[in-house]
Amino acid sequence: MKNQFTRRSVLARLGGAVAGVLSLPAARAAKAAVQKVFVSSGAPRGYDPSKHKWLMCVDVNKCIGCGLCAEACKKENNVPEGPYFRTWIERYIIPKPKPASGETRGEAIVDCPNGGMHGFPEAAIPKDQIEHSFFVPKLCNLCEHSPCVQVCPVGATFDAPDGAVLIDPKYCIGCGFCIQACPYGCRFLSPVTKTAEKCSLCYHRITRGLKPACVEVCPTQARIFGDLKNMAPDDPIQKFYEQNRVQVLKPHLGTNPRVLYAGLDKEVR
Amino acid sequence: MPPQILRLVLLTLGIVGSFLMARAVLTPSSFRQYGWYRGDALEEIASRTPVYAGTKSCDECHSDILQKQAKDAHKTLSCEGCHGVSREHGDNPDILPVKLTGSHCIRCHEANPSRPAWFKQIIVKDHYSGKCTECHLPHQPTQVP
Amino acid sequence: MTPDVTNVLVEVLPKFEGYVYPNEAGPHPLWGFLIVLYPYITGLVAGAFIMASLVRVFKVQALEPVYRLSMLTSFSFLLCATLPLLFHLGHPERCFEIMMTPHLTSPMAIFGFVYAWYLMAVLLLELWFDYRYDLVQWSKTTPGFRGIIYRLFTVGVTDESPAATALDAKLGRFLSVVGIPSAFLLHGYVGFIFGSVKANPWWGNVLMPIIFIMSAIVSGIALCVFNYMVLTWIRRRTIDMRCLDTMAMFLFYALVVDAAIEGLDWIHRIYAAEEGFSVMQTMIREKLFYTLNLGQATVGTLIPLLALGSLQLLRKRVPEMIRKRMIGVSALMILVGVLAMRWNVVIGGQLFSKSLRGVMGYKLEFAGVEGWFMGLILLSLPFVILTTLVKLFLSEQLPATSGHVPQGEGAEQAL
Repeated sequence: MKNQFTRRSVLARLGGAVAGVLSLPAARAAKAAVQKVFVSSGAPRGYDPSKHKWLMCVDVNKCIGCGLCAEACKKENNVPEGPYFRTWIERYIIPKPKPASGETRGEAIVDCPNGGMHGFPEAAIPKDQIEHSFFVPKLCNLCEHSPCVQVCPVGATFDAPDGAVLIDPKYCIGCGFCIQACPYGCRFLSPVTKTAEKCSLCYHRITRGLKPACVEVCPTQARIFGDLKNMAPDDPIQKFYEQNRVQVLKPHLGTNPRVLYAGLDKEVR
Repeated sequence: MPPQILRLVLLTLGIVGSFLMARAVLTPSSFRQYGWYRGDALEEIASRTPVYAGTKSCDECHSDILQKQAKDAHKTLSCEGCHGVSREHGDNPDILPVKLTGSHCIRCHEANPSRPAWFKQIIVKDHYSGKCTECHLPHQPTQVP
Repeated sequence: MTPDVTNVLVEVLPKFEGYVYPNEAGPHPLWGFLIVLYPYITGLVAGAFIMASLVRVFKVQALEPVYRLSMLTSFSFLLCATLPLLFHLGHPERCFEIMMTPHLTSPMAIFGFVYAWYLMAVLLLELWFDYRYDLVQWSKTTPGFRGIIYRLFTVGVTDESPAATALDAKLGRFLSVVGIPSAFLLHGYVGFIFGSVKANPWWGNVLMPIIFIMSAIVSGIALCVFNYMVLTWIRRRTIDMRCLDTMAMFLFYALVVDAAIEGLDWIHRIYAAEEGFSVMQTMIREKLFYTLNLGQATVGTLIPLLALGSLQLLRKRVPEMIRKRMIGVSALMILVGVLAMRWNVVIGGQLFSKSLRGVMGYKLEFAGVEGWFMGLILLSLPFVILTTLVKLFLSEQLPATSGHVPQGEGAEQAL
């Protein structure tokens, strides 16, 4: 299998070198005619990216902060040890307002010990001082106008045709611009590969008909995953739309995130 | 043509020409297949081996447990959430899953003010200090063993 | 709390103030000292070139003595400009990708082309047109290896006729004109890289490219002042005071515009007090206090404004010796201040969380690629190159020819 690839790409390069000098656009058009279906033996056969549009939504009302998702993601994607997370859970504790202060709420306390990977310790303030508290899972927001894709200087991160936003680890030069540009903090520079890394929607799982690891292990269905181009009537995403009024994170930035949240609070950034 | 201009035009043609040739050679063949990126990247990213087996594959051998679980409060749980990554076990049942039993109950059910009110939570020291499974079947937690 | 959770708390993220996203909890910012140096160096390149173009395009005769030095300064710094970027990349061996498949929606993607254009089409060409006649002469009279170098740089065009030198002058002037927007592009795109990041309220605003360009011009002129003073001191010559005073004048007015625009940025931020304002205030107060208030504002802007401004008012009433000292010290202060400004922009933007709830810290290390020792080396390298270039192309031992360049105060003082 590896030999097929190498021979094919070497031949294509030689042809491209000649064609490129004479007529680059013609060469490019020829390459575009290559079949769009995956044929490499390592990847799932017959997967056509244009036939799917993946989406994950989050129901904050259901998240219990167990951290199984963050832990599963680290294992599934071999994420490096340390402050590197493809997905994480934040805890928001909104205290009651100080008496006679005239405020509607106390100042929110947010924490995320180790990404929430091992659950959460006791709250910083006693229960009777808490007005509201909840967990917010975070991940790549699958923006329609991804600022990260916009700023990549070489074309190493991209919007895949099926909705995922992916990083090509063999092409990324590790400049870090995408990490700076993501408003949601979902990207990091891997100390191992020295390339940018982020949630890939477990692309290697969803192309095989499996669910992303975080969705798989979530005990309360706080993460809802589906395919917008193949929705059954009882599809969880369909139900999520019908039953919830939704929000997105940082709408004022114009990134048009596709990941919808139900149950957010004004304190969530 | 003045000698400077001629020399410079030649130099420019040389530089631009070698740049175009280098670009033709160095640009990956699958670039721009779907967009401004290497088309091969999609396959490469997808060809990573999954780690978690997924509850559907547990169903192949353990459908009896899953059928009972589907009728009770733990119906939304995945097997591997408690039992750990079980791909190896799935391929070879003689290899046991990471966790057969354990104290994973507390991870979810310990009372925490941040947990939603609809979720069943207990303060462990007030509830019972022994093993959870003495009163709760793990796959059908409302049933007593 | 289970023993599991308690044990894990020891590996909890390092203490930050407030809340930062987990991916921001690393030990140091993603873009470190190297990325502080890159805009600094390209700023010096652009600024020194603008200085030189004042002579050719705006016909400021008084600056003639410093024209070639400014061009060579710009050139030597440009040669080193890519180094901080290369050292910073996670995969420098893939750096060619930026020219092979530049993603045209990214401001960073134009780097390769703007750099190549500026290096070859602007700087090298303009230098060549200015020097060609001299190179032909020197290649004939200088023996040995140096003579070969001169001959190489003539690129085989050895026509010495007045028609050829007239064409050299005309094309050189044309390139100077083209060079001004090119210099703005070379440094402006760096400002735009920061200005385009809407995710970061410290960076993402419209004034950023303009602030970068103005501070680049200021730092470039200051560098030329510094180089000129050092060079004449090394050679034990007298400084052309008309030249120095003119440079100080341009430095002052450029600094006024720079300070006005930076001030506008400040005022607008404080007035509008948008969402991230309070966390940025905390960040400035706790992390950027000295580099901003002392380095950029006081040392880099206020004191030079006062010093150079008073010289503009008092002019020749200030004795020459004092004027020289004031201008020299102001130039040095400005150079430090602009470096502080780059630090404040690049590092400052990474010292608060995008959650707008937390503040991080940064300790500049000594060793390592992102350490200040490497920074010192990268900053010294252009001066080493400049010394070589001055020896080759500005040496006093070389016969002063310059058939087409208008003579200033006499051949000896023409650098």
